[in-house]
Amino acid sequence: MHEAITHTAVAVSYLWLIPALPALGVLVNLSLGALLGKGAVGFIAPGTVAGGFGVALYCLVQILQLPPGSALEQTLWPWISAGNLQVDIAFRVDALSAVMICVVTGVGFLIHIYSVGYMHDDPSYARYFIYLNLFTCAMLILVLADNLPLLFVGWEGVGLCSYLLIGFWFDKEANASAGKKAFVVNRVGDAGFLLGTFLLFWSLGVGTHSLSFQDIAAHAKSIPLDTVTLITLLLFVGATGKSAQLPLYVWLPDAMAGPTPVSALIHAATMVTAGVYMIARLNFLFVLAPATLTVVATIGALTALFAASIGLMQNDIKKVLAYSTVSQLGYMFLGVGVGAFSAGVFHLMTHAFFKGLLFLGSGSVIHGMHGEQDMRRMGGLRTYMPTTYRTFLIGTLAIAGVPGLAGFFSKDLILAHAFSSSPVLWLVGLCAAGMTAFYMFRLVFMTFWGECRADEHTKHHIHESPATMTVPLVLLAVLSIVGGYVGLPEMWAWGNRFDAFLAPVFAAAQGGEHHMEMGLEYALMAASVGVAVGGIALAYVLYVARPELPGQIADQAAGAYDLISNKYYVDELYDAVLVQPALKLSNLLWRVVDVGIVDGIVNGSARVVGASSSFWRRWQTGNVEHYAVSMLFGAVLILVFFAWHSS
Amino acid sequence: MNTGVFVLLATLLVVAALGVVLARSPIRSALSLVVALFFLAVFFLLLDAQLIAALQVIVYAGAIMVLFLFVIMLLNLQEHPAEMARAGLRFLAGTLASLFLLATIYFTNRSGISNAQGMGAIPDGFDSTAQIAERLFTQHLFAFELTSLLLLVAIISAVVLAKKKLA
Amino acid sequence: MLYRMINPPEISWIAILPVLLLSATAMLTMVADLWTDGPDREGLGWIGLVGLMATAIAAVALWNTKLTSFAGAVVVDRYGLFFTLLFCVAAGLTLLMSMSYLEQTDIRTGDYYSLILFSTVGMVVMATAADLIVVFLGLEVMSIAAYALAGIWRSQVRSNEAALKYFLLGAFATGFLLFGIALLYGVAGTTTLTGIAQTASGATAEQRTLLIAGMALMIVGFGFKVAAVPFHAWAPDVYEGAPTSVTALMAVGVKSAAFAAFARIFMHTLAVMSPDWSAVLWVLAVLTMTVGNVTALLQRNIKRMLAYSSIAHAGYLLVGMVAGGELGGSAILFYLLAYTLMTLGAFSVVIALGRRGQPNENLEDYAGAGFRSPFLGMAMSIFMLSLAGIPPFGGFVGKFYIFSAAVKSGYIGLTVIGVMNSLISVYYYVGVLVRMYMTDGGVEITQPSSRPYLFATLVVAVAGTIALGLFPSTLFEVARQSFLALG
Repeated sequence: MHEAITHTAVAVSYLWLIPALPALGVLVNLSLGALLGKGAVGFIAPGTVAGGFGVALYCLVQILQLPPGSALEQTLWPWISAGNLQVDIAFRVDALSAVMICVVTGVGFLIHIYSVGYMHDDPSYARYFIYLNLFTCAMLILVLADNLPLLFVGWEGVGLCSYLLIGFWFDKEANASAGKKAFVVNRVGDAGFLLGTFLLFWSLGVGTHSLSFQDIAAHAKSIPLDTVTLITLLLFVGATGKSAQLPLYVWLPDAMAGPTPVSALIHAATMVTAGVYMIARLNFLFVLAPATLTVVATIGALTALFAASIGLMQNDIKKVLAYSTVSQLGYMFLGVGVGAFSAGVFHLMTHAFFKGLLFLGSGSVIHGMHGEQDMRRMGGLRTYMPTTYRTFLIGTLAIAGVPGLAGFFSKDLILAHAFSSSPVLWLVGLCAAGMTAFYMFRLVFMTFWGECRADEHTKHHIHESPATMTVPLVLLAVLSIVGGYVGLPEMWAWGNRFDAFLAPVFAAAQGGEHHMEMGLEYALMAASVGVAVGGIALAYVLYVARPELPGQIADQAAGAYDLISNKYYVDELYDAVLVQPALKLSNLLWRVVDVGIVDGIVNGSARVVGASSSFWRRWQTGNVEHYAVSMLFGAVLILVFFAWHSS
Repeated sequence: MNTGVFVLLATLLVVAALGVVLARSPIRSALSLVVALFFLAVFFLLLDAQLIAALQVIVYAGAIMVLFLFVIMLLNLQEHPAEMARAGLRFLAGTLASLFLLATIYFTNRSGISNAQGMGAIPDGFDSTAQIAERLFTQHLFAFELTSLLLLVAIISAVVLAKKKLA
Repeated sequence: MLYRMINPPEISWIAILPVLLLSATAMLTMVADLWTDGPDREGLGWIGLVGLMATAIAAVALWNTKLTSFAGAVVVDRYGLFFTLLFCVAAGLTLLMSMSYLEQTDIRTGDYYSLILFSTVGMVVMATAADLIVVFLGLEVMSIAAYALAGIWRSQVRSNEAALKYFLLGAFATGFLLFGIALLYGVAGTTTLTGIAQTASGATAEQRTLLIAGMALMIVGFGFKVAAVPFHAWAPDVYEGAPTSVTALMAVGVKSAAFAAFARIFMHTLAVMSPDWSAVLWVLAVLTMTVGNVTALLQRNIKRMLAYSSIAHAGYLLVGMVAGGELGGSAILFYLLAYTLMTLGAFSVVIALGRRGQPNENLEDYAGAGFRSPFLGMAMSIFMLSLAGIPPFGGFVGKFYIFSAAVKSGYIGLTVIGVMNSLISVYYYVGVLVRMYMTDGGVEITQPSSRPYLFATLVVAVAGTIALGLFPSTLFEVARQSFLALG
């Protein structure tokens, strides 16, 4: 057991600066962007995020200096007050939030810098940075929020920005609809989140509640088990929407329609991890509902495997990374689901580094190839783009779980915890790890190795990206290597500093501290390394040594190949089962209930629009009669209901 | 009130009211309305509300209906009998209206109001002009004044909708 | 004795000060119209604005007063004053947007301004009435002016149609309301709300039966005015056909006034009967939210879409009535305020996109509007997101209050349906954003900054929508005190 933890809060006055600085960037670029020109816009936007990063680092230093379990707090003003509900606009930085704000502002800053180069020729330069800054602001509100409703403000804000950025290049019809899809699918999750919040408020019982996390923690134990299970399940529905888990993951692959730095920042490094963050933040609530945690872990493991298997067959470089992100998020949920909250957050952080790197690297490739995203028309790029290749390789090694890099430590920690919880979950995670190694190296081999398959014109123009783009790549590559060393396995000398730092936040979840035998732990580690190497070797055989093999395999297992390369037809299924019926219902309600239920009853005729004027007039008078009859119908129903209800 | 008289008057009133709705020519409709309003006045009379009965005849059956008839004749509307709704719709509306009537009868029946023995003796001075005036200027003073505003608004609205378009 | 003196009741002039000020303003604009030449009658709008300002000041000055007057026909309490202020804001913004809007129409009559003010008088009367006859008269003053306003653009066929439809169906609905009032009078022997409340609290089983029948009929009458399903069918046609500024007033003012009287009568006077009426309103709320939102999905005309949206919002407000209690009541008041600002704002944007002879009311016309006029795009985005209930805008906080109240009263199922509905609504509200920011084409836009009145309307609506989202607690406290003033 951990030693008794003292929760002390220090009131400070500078937390508001962290989200306010990007917000200032939004305001300045929105009002003056057209006047200032690209240079100033490209300076202001990253500058404000850098300022936020500075404050975030200062917060981190403060937290490290204070005794464990301390937090910085700032209450700005009372927000929603209704009866015994008293919600404030208040920020709070504890160890978990400190990690998050540093990741958001740090990685965010690098991606802002990268964007200066990447978006340089885009006509909507200012608009892009306005959205990006607005996103940063909303994401910071999300992780700084002291209570659930304020967290929801950030939660919706990042969703909106994500949607605006996915549809950023709207000249393609698909992009706009991808944006809308993202927003609508996310709202399904958000409905779950809101319902969970309302149910939580309802079940907290008498007394004034602020829905702040301390308030919830203080009263959570008095909630009956089945209620807390329902609340956490509803909140998890919210998390599956935002963090693209089964069955709500469908929006994320489509979200790749946005600019690549956006994919890196929003759809890999930060926003999509909000669901993991929310569960980690509410760990004291989730540990009260073991059934929910089982669901979280199972969904996480299944998503990890499912998405990885789709990733095996994709040919669009960004789609591979998108499914990889879904899969890696599955690992994080697996981690928090088996109660290893700090391991989940650890993977969140390392993933932000290496997946941010991979996306930016793919952006560099796309930039160099003038918008080409199909890997079948790439190849041999390592000679043209050496920096991109090297950094990309580091990211790939990290995600594949090669020992010594960040991804290895965090993924291994999750798998170790999963094993002590359920060997089946571990096995599923292990399979997904093998697939990850395979599809990532398939990507590297297809993109950077072999002969270039681009047409002559494109080949002629392939070039390494400018320094604004390569410098962030190098920095992220460094982080992808060293980022893992804050969380070494417990049995090693340096130990898991990261876990110790976060421990006070997850104090409620520390009951079942596991102490694994050293031999077993090494064995698990060996298994992970084994599948990783196996995956890499297989990719080498299929895409470098024997490139004719994949085609033959595809021919022999055509059914399975079609199923996977069409992403298990999930989009088609959703369209047939959910979207089409909803539109039909709308149509039905409009035509029948609305245009005249009576008309429907009388002769089943549908609305006829745009007829000749004499017909129009007759139809109009008919309509008034219909409306009157439907009102009479309603009146009769109400009377009958009352007669039945009161008798 | 004698039940026999009530049933007779009520039947006549309902027939006249149906005439308003079912008559094909506007003139017949309007004249049926006059008849219906007359029978209504008789009801007031039988309820010892002489002033209301008189006002009913003078204002509604007299002034307003004459105005209606003038308008109908001026516009020569008898040439264009109102279009009837389709049979299905008429049937549905009739059914619903009957159901509505049944439901109200059900409620009034259950409330026992139909068996009530009346309020007893009519108070002294009931329905005298003086008493109505007193009610209007005390209990309903605000409503009375507000009615003048309502009339003003109605006049403006009528003028706005009816006046000739500006060039 | 040839005559006897009538002792007039105690008359408190300050009790009807807002009504008096507004009526005087309305008549003043009517008279001033005679001395106004030329096509532009903005001066009349200014008179109206000054009058509304004076009324609002009077309402604020009366804030701590609580008295009944005119033999219990009128009441001054914070509840009525809250709504008086709300109507001043709604009418004021409507006048402001009209002063720009009328230029792009053929409406050249000064009566337009007086009718808007008379309609507002009716609303104020409804909110401060303590007698069913006065409620009815207020409703008629408001409605008759609204019927005329709907048809005031006489060269437009659809405006005429809207007026006729609204009038015919409105008269039909009024019949139900009057019938209900008569039944309540039959039970209580009085039309004052206090008298009815007394009767209701000690009602015998027989009396309850008649009260229930009366309630059922009044629900029909008020259901029509707030556009609750199945009494809503008029709303899309009338909203689409009426001049846009009039539609805005109908969507916010008429609806709020109906809710003011509806809530006062049901949540206060007939509070003891709430087990009976809440079951019916539960069903109406579900129907209204669902039909409103689902039907809005397929609309291509923005005014029609906003009409269905306003139907859906009536559903959310009914949820507040079902929830009841202090929280539910205050939530309704707060929600109406937020709803007023965001809806008026949305209609102002509709006006801003239109031009003479070219109303531009189809969703296609909004394509790329966000780029051609960043201010309009931002304003419309804020209104749409707020209507969809997305933080941090007023609409979100309003929904949060309403659903919290429903949850606290144990209506979990209703809350689930409500949240699901607001999820559906996102689809069509965001559809407008998609048009504005993710498609090209659309119509040429006159920059709103060149139309000062419209610009002012938009600025006020945007500022209000944001302020209600970020600093709702003060106004919620005002709403709470207002609702508590009933009891």
